[in-house]
Amino acid sequence: MSTVAYITVRGLLGRRRVLLLLPLPLLLIGLALICRAYDVSPDQWGQPVVVGLGLAVVLPVISLIVGTGVLGSEVDDGTIVHILTKPLPRRDIILAKLLVAAGVSAVTVAVPLFVAGLLADSVRFGLALVVGSVAGAIAYSALFLLLSLVTRRPVLLGLAYILVWEGLLGRFVSGTRVLSIEQYVISIADRIAPTGMLDGKVSLPVAIVMSLVFAIGGTLYAVNRLGSFSMAGETS
Amino acid sequence: MSVVELENVSRWYGNVVAVNDISMTLQPGVTGLLGPNGAGKTTVLHMMAGFLAPSKGAVTIDNSPTWRNPGIYRTLGLVAEREAVHGFLSAYEFVLACAKMQKLPDPAAATARALSLVEMTDAQDRRIETFSKGMRQRTRVAAALVHEPQVLLLDEPFNGMDPRQRMHMMELLHKLGDQGHTILFSSHILEEVEQLSGLVQVIVAGRLAASGDYRRIRRLMTNRPHVFAVQSSDDRRLAVALIGEKSVSGIEVEATGLTVRASDYGSFTRALPRIAIGEGIQLRKLLPSDESLESVFSYLLEA
Amino acid sequence: MSEAGVIHDIGYQRYEGPRLGRSAVFGAIYQHGLRASFGLGRSAKAKIFPWLVAGIVVLVAVINAAVLAYAKVKLFDYYTFDDTMSWLVIFFVAIVAPELVSRDMRSGVLPLYFSRPLRAFDYIGAKWAALVTAVFLLLGVPQFIMFLGAAFTTDDGAKGVGNEILRLLPGWGYSLLWAVVFASISLLIASVTGKRAFAAGGIVAFFLMTAPVVGVLSILPSSTAQHLAGLASPMSLLVGVQSWLRGKNDLGIDVGDFGVIYGIEAFCLVSAALLLLLARYRKVASL
Repeated sequence: MSTVAYITVRGLLGRRRVLLLLPLPLLLIGLALICRAYDVSPDQWGQPVVVGLGLAVVLPVISLIVGTGVLGSEVDDGTIVHILTKPLPRRDIILAKLLVAAGVSAVTVAVPLFVAGLLADSVRFGLALVVGSVAGAIAYSALFLLLSLVTRRPVLLGLAYILVWEGLLGRFVSGTRVLSIEQYVISIADRIAPTGMLDGKVSLPVAIVMSLVFAIGGTLYAVNRLGSFSMAGETS
Repeated sequence: MSVVELENVSRWYGNVVAVNDISMTLQPGVTGLLGPNGAGKTTVLHMMAGFLAPSKGAVTIDNSPTWRNPGIYRTLGLVAEREAVHGFLSAYEFVLACAKMQKLPDPAAATARALSLVEMTDAQDRRIETFSKGMRQRTRVAAALVHEPQVLLLDEPFNGMDPRQRMHMMELLHKLGDQGHTILFSSHILEEVEQLSGLVQVIVAGRLAASGDYRRIRRLMTNRPHVFAVQSSDDRRLAVALIGEKSVSGIEVEATGLTVRASDYGSFTRALPRIAIGEGIQLRKLLPSDESLESVFSYLLEA
Repeated sequence: MSEAGVIHDIGYQRYEGPRLGRSAVFGAIYQHGLRASFGLGRSAKAKIFPWLVAGIVVLVAVINAAVLAYAKVKLFDYYTFDDTMSWLVIFFVAIVAPELVSRDMRSGVLPLYFSRPLRAFDYIGAKWAALVTAVFLLLGVPQFIMFLGAAFTTDDGAKGVGNEILRLLPGWGYSLLWAVVFASISLLIASVTGKRAFAAGGIVAFFLMTAPVVGVLSILPSSTAQHLAGLASPMSLLVGVQSWLRGKNDLGIDVGDFGVIYGIEAFCLVSAALLLLLARYRKVASL
């Protein structure tokens, strides 16, 4: 299992592509610093930066890039064959990739969010954001890992989920919020450090339960799908 | 000694039947899976390798099914047709990772052994994305051999190899076959199959058209006359004498000799020396000219 | 078999007849690009996403027209329609721009294209024109539906229809502006990579990350910063251009006296994107 994780990490980070992960976190920190430097009141800049950029954009997009990258690229170019022709339980393979994806996403997102939260309010707020973003990273990564196995265009479906489901519908149709990971993250962080910036529309028990449903359910389904991974004849 | 068995295996996609009721047993040694493009060779190989479920029938290795059974990969190695390999790793790192994932007790030693088997030890520290096609192929074969599997499946392994590499790979496969491994390789290039193995499984349009030693298969095709090239001291007189023989169905006289079409292999081969001695003609050359795999194959395709 | 080597004349001939010119090449790529944008001529799966987006915008327009007809309440006018549909436009260009540009790069056909009498200018120009047309259709057709709704329920007869046309035309102009800006930026981002997934993610990330920047800049204490805040994001840039051209200041972005700068930036953004695209395609063999 650790070998799978090692290959995944090398594939994800060992190349120039990893630089793509940098602009968003840097932007987040940069904006927070600018606002602080100009002494703008956190009531004004907290919402757009922490929620509008951090939780609504940086967290899902980074989780998407990493989550579809750990498995999707291997399925796409066929190198998954080398991982699958080994006597490894499929559960171990999925868990290794999930760990790498969630870990990389969580670190990439939690650090700038902690800084932004610290600058906006307090250490406690920063830590609340860290906890929320870790939970969100795990749930998102499980979802996108599953999408990589279920469909051939996981990034597009993931984008549709983030943009259309969470972004557009979540704003106007209140029922869809129950299935929106972004809302769980907001609710969890709000509970740990209540501030005026986070407006949790989903109750905390629902948020925790649904996050677990996404994380565990997604993982189990992904394990099942990997076990019946098929390669038809004469691909490429 | 492992035995791969397919029992009445079919695979269809909607209305398209890719593999149609194939039953075969692979014994230790080298077997060639032969067929034109699109015949279903890759489908059969993927089913044997556990990457495709049969729609009907059972695919087993040593009586355990290949589908949804990661445990068989302890005794199975697959070299797939697609060239894909983790390019950012070096050859050594890649084969070592495969050895570790196979849970071998001494991965480093196994890696060194596998790499020297395919003659990749010099280039082992370079990244795979800098390799030529043949080197990539050999690296993948090393990765498939690192755990010394009983069964080795290769899908078009000689694609893109130059003649020297091909010879070397054939020697390697011969050696492994002699050691008792069960090796199946697919190809649509007849010379390769002829050089590498006498045993073939011929797949045409999803059906198993023939299996076994291809020379014996040829003899079983009694509705096709056998063709012989004969040279003698007096061709024309021999031709006149032969045409009276019941087992001969046609003779062509050419400057280079006779081309004799015989409907019955056995009777003809007994009759020929008798006639030659009776006429006092010396036979200089007698060659069955259509016992090559190519003619067997083309007969099977036309059938 | 003959003894010496001979090449036989089996009738292959060079084509000596009339050939169509550059405009035909341009037209062919343009037409192909426009069809590919909506998935026409491809499998059913390629049609899902574009038509899904098109369906949603048309639905919104229909609802708008219906509400106008029955309740005489205008939900949005032509300009705010474009602004509200911004996320759908982002999603649309994120799907379509990679289909137009990244697919060719990935499959290695560019050397094939460019070894014909095709110039980089024609190739880029045709693809850009196709994407601009596609986005314009995406926004313009719903606006036309809204126009029909207003025109058929107007109380002023022919004069009412005429007034409505006069409102529609600038609305279409605004949609065209949207199309130009979004097409240029998304094509540039898509041309960076051959993998459609990365291109789509990159386009979305770019557009999404610029919006909060606007939010932050607009609350900085300096009034110049607040006026210029809209420059940071294409969506607000377009709103800014609109308020400059229409002379209004109540559209959510207060441009003050800096309206001209918005116009200049829009122009420079589009030109820079196109020039960079041209530069990218100059050395095709390396792509």
